[in-house]
Amino acid sequence: MKRAAAITLTLAVAFFYLPIAVLSLFSFNRSALMTFPLDGFTLDWYRELSGNTAFLNGFVTSFLVSQPVGILSALIGLLAALALASPGLRGRSVFIALLVLPFLVPKTVLSIAQAMLLNWAGLGRGATALIAAQTLVAIPFTTTIIAAVLVRLDPRLEEAARDLGATPWQTFRRVTFPQIRGAVGAAYSIGVILSLADLTISMFLAGRTQPLSLIVASQFRRELKPDLNAMQVVVLFLTGLIVFIGEYFRRRRRVHAPAPRKETAHV
Amino acid sequence: MKLPLSRAHLAIPVAFLLFLGCLLPLILLLVFSVFTVDMDAFVMVPAFSPQAWAQMLTKPVFAFLIGKAVMFGLGTAVLAAFAGYPVALAIASLAPAWKGIASVILLTPLYTGEIVRIYAWRIVLGSEGLVNTLLMWLGVIHAPLKFLLFTPFTTHLVLLYNTLPFMVLPIWLSIELVDRRLIEAARDLGARPLHAFLRVTLPLTTPGLSVGLFAVFALAAGDMLTPSLLGGPSGVTPMSMIDNLFGTAFDWPLASALSLSLLLVLLACATVMSWLVLRLKGARAVFRGGMR
Repeated sequence: MKRAAAITLTLAVAFFYLPIAVLSLFSFNRSALMTFPLDGFTLDWYRELSGNTAFLNGFVTSFLVSQPVGILSALIGLLAALALASPGLRGRSVFIALLVLPFLVPKTVLSIAQAMLLNWAGLGRGATALIAAQTLVAIPFTTTIIAAVLVRLDPRLEEAARDLGATPWQTFRRVTFPQIRGAVGAAYSIGVILSLADLTISMFLAGRTQPLSLIVASQFRRELKPDLNAMQVVVLFLTGLIVFIGEYFRRRRRVHAPAPRKETAHV
Repeated sequence: MKLPLSRAHLAIPVAFLLFLGCLLPLILLLVFSVFTVDMDAFVMVPAFSPQAWAQMLTKPVFAFLIGKAVMFGLGTAVLAAFAGYPVALAIASLAPAWKGIASVILLTPLYTGEIVRIYAWRIVLGSEGLVNTLLMWLGVIHAPLKFLLFTPFTTHLVLLYNTLPFMVLPIWLSIELVDRRLIEAARDLGARPLHAFLRVTLPLTTPGLSVGLFAVFALAAGDMLTPSLLGGPSGVTPMSMIDNLFGTAFDWPLASALSLSLLLVLLACATVMSWLVLRLKGARAVFRGGMR
């Protein structure tokens, strides 16, 4: 059984990392044609990339959009998770249905409907619309992450704080929040990552804002060039870094407050 | 210190935002679907016209496209269930310290951009890509396999790639909740591994399977970019049709009617599928037995 598990995991990792590995490989390949056999090692594509202002501007735009998305989606996810974890919530199933909605509705349909709403309301598309739409789509994820930790907290700690005369805000600030800080951090990084990874929403709502994914997509339709590979490897590296930092925050929580059961991402 | 407000009230601003950002646009679709378009002035004319819905219901192309999206969704969900169980079981069998790491390794590729994944698969599956070169070099084939890229096969493969973690995670969490002694008891009583899986593990993990099927179906059936950039001539989806009607054709009423029809069909399919799985023998025992 142990060997079967090892083989399964090896195959799964190979499947998940195959495309990424191939991309990285070609970003160091001398030939401009992305075909095998490989031609030899070069850093030229990275050098070319550093001179490509369109890509660099796109990257800055994507980064600037992803920050408010991360912060807002973590904040709204925190509110939603606190409400979900409270026993006094009426209309729970309606609230859950609303929370699942942005996940269930195809992004194309949702974005087009939002674009129609903006148009009808006389509002323009652009960075604000993009940030709002990306935040909405991230909310189901951020809520799940925070709620998964919140429901496993020991309720006696909050009760004790209240019995000792703490106001609800003090209880939250001094007792609850320190225990879920890691999950809120992880939610923020998920928001940032979903924003950076998005193309569909940007296609319909970005207006004249040009995030990196849109620039890459327009290149993609014309031709495949290895500096695009280099670009992707850089983006992947940065994404990996964000994942790593998010995971670091999530793990740190365990040191402060050991949970009865291990981490899960499930409400 | 008595406050009339409790934490449950935090749901109100969130629900309001979700209503404004998600539900209101969808309601607006309903309104627009009965409007008409003045094609000369390129403006929508408020009306109460069944025109868009009549087109939607009489032209077979729309039903065909929605059916295709459902098939992509169902096909991917079934593939992901078959691929997801072994992976989830393997993660569950790891030592506790490795489980968290395994889930991070599993999730990281998910965070790469939509376009990056599509682009990478094109290099892997192209006629001079990794798979074909490798197979030719090994002498297995003598001409590049044509079905690898720009076919329904490609679409299913990449949709599976995009959605598999959404299947593995809930199944894995379900497995963690199963009392291992039940499986051991089955084995001790002489059940073969496959038999023990089918009679004990599978029924007890149906909640996870149900969540996984729901998520994978919704994601795969609603994906526009993968079919349109990798599916070749087969890659027209209801979503790309909506995109065309909305952008190029400026037929917002028909785009709205098609969007709503698609949503209704997808929601119905996802609900029925999850419901069927939860009615499997044993699934109800899970809920009766304390999972709330």
